[in-house]
Amino acid sequence: MSLRRRLTLSLVTILILYAVNVGTHFWGSYARNESMIAYRNSVTAAQLSTEVEQLLNDQRQQILVLSTLRETTEDQLDGEELIQAEGQLEDIGNKIAMLGKLSHEVTQAHYQKLQQSSAILLAGWLDFYRRYNDPDYKADMDDPLPYLEASQRLKELEQRQAFIAVQRANIIDRTIALTDRITVIGFFASILLTATLGFFLVRYTNRSLKRLKTGTQQIGSGDLDYRIENIDDSGELGDLAEAFNDMSDKLRNAMELVSSARDSADEANAAKSMFLANVSHELRTPLNGIIGYSEMLHDELADDQQVDRGQFQRDLEKITLSGRQLLALINDILDLSKIETGKMGLHKEDFNPGEIMHQACDSLAPLLRDNANELVVTDFGELPCMHSDAAKFRQIFTNLLSNASKFTHGGAITVSARVLEATGQQSQHDHLEITVQDTGIGMTPAQQGRIFDAFVQAEASTSASYGGTGLGLAICRDYCELMGGTIRLKSNAGKGSTFTVLLPIGSASGHAAA
Amino acid sequence: MTVARPVLLVEDNELNRDMLARRLKRAGFEVLTACDGQQALDLMTSELPAVVLMDMSLPVLDGWTACRMARQDDRIKHIPIIALTAHALEKDRLKAMDAGCDDYATKPVDFPELLDKIKTLAAQGAQR
Repeated sequence: MSLRRRLTLSLVTILILYAVNVGTHFWGSYARNESMIAYRNSVTAAQLSTEVEQLLNDQRQQILVLSTLRETTEDQLDGEELIQAEGQLEDIGNKIAMLGKLSHEVTQAHYQKLQQSSAILLAGWLDFYRRYNDPDYKADMDDPLPYLEASQRLKELEQRQAFIAVQRANIIDRTIALTDRITVIGFFASILLTATLGFFLVRYTNRSLKRLKTGTQQIGSGDLDYRIENIDDSGELGDLAEAFNDMSDKLRNAMELVSSARDSADEANAAKSMFLANVSHELRTPLNGIIGYSEMLHDELADDQQVDRGQFQRDLEKITLSGRQLLALINDILDLSKIETGKMGLHKEDFNPGEIMHQACDSLAPLLRDNANELVVTDFGELPCMHSDAAKFRQIFTNLLSNASKFTHGGAITVSARVLEATGQQSQHDHLEITVQDTGIGMTPAQQGRIFDAFVQAEASTSASYGGTGLGLAICRDYCELMGGTIRLKSNAGKGSTFTVLLPIGSASGHAAA
Repeated sequence: MTVARPVLLVEDNELNRDMLARRLKRAGFEVLTACDGQQALDLMTSELPAVVLMDMSLPVLDGWTACRMARQDDRIKHIPIIALTAHALEKDRLKAMDAGCDDYATKPVDFPELLDKIKTLAAQGAQR
């Protein structure tokens, strides 16, 4: 349940309890009020009854005395006395009527009877007074029945009223006790319920907030794998926890991205630094020859001795050779830079691949001789003419052959070439497959995986022992791809490597002229 | 000034080896040459040269390893070694000094400076 719903529910419950309390309080007040009115009425009615009883008794005594006097004397009632007596009777009638007003529905029957009997009694008395002076009037006031009956009715009404008052008072007392009890129970119940609701609300909120806090602390301390488990809240706090977990995921992903980006940037940076160091090393080696021989020849010329012209010429050739090496190196670097910036284009022409391969083998003969390697070449005479970039073809083959020579000492290097006819399924065109196999130092699978990357050699220490900038194979791969072909490597550490190049022959057809 | 004992030049690049050997001979030194680290150690032991000029990137046994081995060999540990390398960064210099070289010269070689270094170290070596 959501936090807002819980809060609303708690609030509504508390308000209802409060309303119940207020209601029972008013009910109790009303009941007390009723009780007071009933009590006051009954007291008033009792007083009135007593008064009426007294008045009836007095009046009867007075009438009995007057009746005796009328028989024994000839005294007449004067007008004033008559009016006074009539006033007294009217007063009694009024008071009985007032009793009627004070009577309830349940006592109404008794009152009716009282009224009837008292009306007869009072009418008889009024008649007595009015005809008192009439000598013909035979007053018979000794008959006590009307009086007794009225008196009896009055008593009955009084009893009935008292009984009803007691009964009502009991009911009201019970109501008051009940409302008091309800008020007290409601009061304690609302305290208990409010406390319970508050407790659970605080505990629930606290537990969720604690989990969030722990999560925040864990993430803050760098544990990006931390997740808030057991999200059983379906409301705002649950959403918050979900959002928090979401955020952690995104944060971790972002961190991983940043980290891997930084790693690859660092790697590229380190590779470039190493590349620069290697380039510097490679530039210095031919420069050493150029500067050294030049200075030496200069010194020899400065001497007075006779110059050995043959030796002088050979030394000059060495300077030229070193200069060419330097140029080749600089060209390699520029080529790679061109490939990397996408500015390297293809200059297609018809050429004879076998011829170019023979030339390359010849030009690398000194290197092969230096490392005491035997070169085994298959017959290239049957190879077809190719339509592709001859310069790049030459460079690919030269790089592979010079690599094989460089990393092999006293071994054999086998060069072979053949045509793969288009099969229609795997390849749409005829391809030339060139294989350069050596028995040199080879490479581990890990080294093979990155050997075609620019600036990389199999081992960082390789350049120290074998020279090179780590550009040759990168250029080979890029050129092969540029020419629509592929380059593959099979190698065993310590046993040698086999590079296989597959290049499309192009549109030129027919066998090349030897 | 000439040095009584020969100078050992260790260099795998034939062109550079010949060139430097000829220049040193012209400067009045007796020169021995080696093509790799193992040859260098053998010649140091047998000929006890006054100074060794050692290229670091060598086949068979590289220059750094050869230096370390020389420094642990009582017979030849006194022979001064000048690292001669195309590795020109500060860390390369430190790496060479770490391996036990007494001095360091980068290629292309500043020949007069190299001669000074050889003479200084040969004089020191003679006193050891």
